[in-house]
Amino acid sequence: MSKEWIKVFIAAVFEVLWVIGLKHSDSLLDWAGTIVAIVISFYGLIMAGRKLPVGTVYAVFVGLGTAGTVFSEVLFFGEPFKAEKIFLVLVLLAGVIGLKLVTDEEPKKGDES
Amino acid sequence: MAWISLILAGICEMIGVGMINKWHHDRNWGSLLFLILGFGASFFFLSIAMETLPMGTAYAIWTGIGASGGAILGMLIYGESKDWKRILFIFMILGAAVGLKLVS
Repeated sequence: MSKEWIKVFIAAVFEVLWVIGLKHSDSLLDWAGTIVAIVISFYGLIMAGRKLPVGTVYAVFVGLGTAGTVFSEVLFFGEPFKAEKIFLVLVLLAGVIGLKLVTDEEPKKGDES
Repeated sequence: MAWISLILAGICEMIGVGMINKWHHDRNWGSLLFLILGFGASFFFLSIAMETLPMGTAYAIWTGIGASGGAILGMLIYGESKDWKRILFIFMILGAAVGLKLVS
């Protein structure tokens, strides 16, 4: 695994942390931590996108973020596990990843517009 | 109300992402300002939506609106490819989001 992909992975971990922060913060310190996590995750995402194809990076990032948030709410926050919900989240995720990957494969000539 | 906030959060996210692209092109400070305002508003609405909605559901739909909305805008405004695969994936995202609304 290259250094660039490690950045994507770290960005995704911070993504899950700020999502948890948005839902569960109730003190100034919590909110400050949430904002720091947002900045770190977007910074990592943008930096990784400089060397790696952006569509692929975003697809992996979103996949890790979605899996991370769904699992942490079941594991740590006592959200009930519902099979149909997991299924729908997977369909949604497949749609996002697919969309980003087919968009990435297109010829680069449209980039100037 | 939570679902309306979530949709607003998704729309603000699309504005933010659009401004990232615009900023890469012309590097003007106006785009950067709208980028920060767009994401700021998006996180604000997302946190309101999460007061009642489960975290994973809200996050997944927020991301889905950003991705599908960005692709739809790209097709409508920037003449990006209307390939059937892209349209199929957009329908998968929107269908799953509606389904999640029904089961949540």
